Parts: sequence; C-alpha cells; structure tokens
Amino acid sequence: MERRYFLKDCAVIGAMGVACSTGLLTSSTAFATESDPFQATSVAAVLEALGIVDAKASDEIQITAPKIAENGGSVPVVVTSMLKGTTEILTIVANNPKPLAARNKFGKRAIPSISSRIKMGETTELIAVVKADDKYYLAKTNVKVTLGGCGG
Amino acid sequence: MDKPSIKMRVKEKGGAIWLRALIKHPMETGLRKDKETDVTIPAHYISDVVVEADGETVFSADWSTSISKNPFLFIKFYGSNGDTVRLTWKDNMGNSDSMEKTVGRK
Repeated sequence: MERRYFLKDCAVIGAMGVACSTGLLTSSTAFATESDPFQATSVAAVLEALGIVDAKASDEIQITAPKIAENGGSVPVVVTSMLKGTTEILTIVANNPKPLAARNKFGKRAIPSISSRIKMGETTELIAVVKADDKYYLAKTNVKVTLGGCGG
Repeated sequence: MDKPSIKMRVKEKGGAIWLRALIKHPMETGLRKDKETDVTIPAHYISDVVVEADGETVFSADWSTSISKNPFLFIKFYGSNGDTVRLTWKDNMGNSDSMEKTVGRK
C-alpha cells in the first residue's frame, strides 16, 4: 500500500490511531472503518476514507455506460469530465464488495477522460467522483447487470 | 514473461495523442474459489498504472480488483508526433512490466 499516495490520509488517520492507542483521545467510531479507501466496503466509507465530504452533483461529468450489461465481468465505462482543472476521476461501483474501482489522476497534458472496463457483481449504481480545483463533484448512473462478474 | 503483457497503440489525432492499451492480467478478486479444490484464489491485480510522455507523467491510476480481467485503457493527452510514450504497470504481487512507443512511428 505504500505505493499508493495516501500519505495525507494515512498521516491523519495514523495520528488518530496513535492518539487512540495512547489514550489521549477516546476511541472514535468515525475511524472504525478501514482507512484505505480501496479496502472500504461501502460508498460512504470510501468517501470518508478519501476525506470527501462535500461532493456536489454536476452535469459536467459525463458517464457513458450500458444501461444493461450482459456480462458484469467486463462493463465498458467511459467517464469524461468537462470541469476545469480536473485532476482526478474516481470510479465507484456501489454494490461491489469493495466499491472503489479506480483512482485516476491526470497530469497537465492529459484530457480528463478515461475509458476502461469494470467488473460489476450485480445491478448497481455507478458513481464518478471528480476532483477539480481541489473541490469534489460527482455524477451517478445505473447499470443493470444480467450476469455477475464477482465471486464464483 | 515470454510475450509482452502490454499491447499498446499510440496515435496522434488533432493535437492529442490517443493511447489505447490492453494489458494481459488475471485481475483476481480474491473472492473466487477454485472449482475443484474449493480453495480461495488469492487476489492478484494491477494496483498501479503510469503513463509518461517524454518523461512527464500524464496519467497515473490506482486500480482495484474491480477492474476487469485483461484491463483495457483508453486515454488522450496533448502531444505530437515524435513524443515517446511509456506505460508501466505494477501488481500487488510485485510483478511489473512496461512498454515504450514513439508516436507516429511503427
């Protein structure tokens, strides 16, 4: 996990952990969930682990995904952000065991659009969170899955 | 690895470079069980992907097991013919691979 850039989150949560264990602070239920957003098991936990609290719904985020996916193991998804200053696009599959699918970061030269294929265990809400100018925005769409892609 | 794990195509279109890549990888979720032995197959997935153009990172991603088997990636970034594009991936088991291509050259 050290390869991922959670330094900021980790520092905060790590500090909390130390504080808790040394008894400086009474145990906080807010950090009961896993601090790594990729290990979080619900959309709320993912957003919390990433420190996203005020994501606004935006029409400037375009999600292209099939309404009905025949094969949940490979659902083509395109997320394009038309927001100025987009640096990150996160794709979250609400009903997957671990909802956060990808955290895509864009450099200065990149056009903030990503197409990839994502697994979906069941009919689910697909959420795209965009970070633009240090603010978070989100958009949602529904995908109906007729054959699941997780587990066996 | 005998065969390269990455198939990558870079093309210049209207001032932007279109990068399409297919990576060969099982992307195991860690939830599946072997049908015969009933033993859980450990998670094995690509966790990091980086695309650089002329040494500058234009795109980087952290992936989870929710990305499909044999992942496909399509991104665009500003650039021109002659740029050197490198794609690198790493997985959670310490494997990695990379491929470099020059835009506009076969």
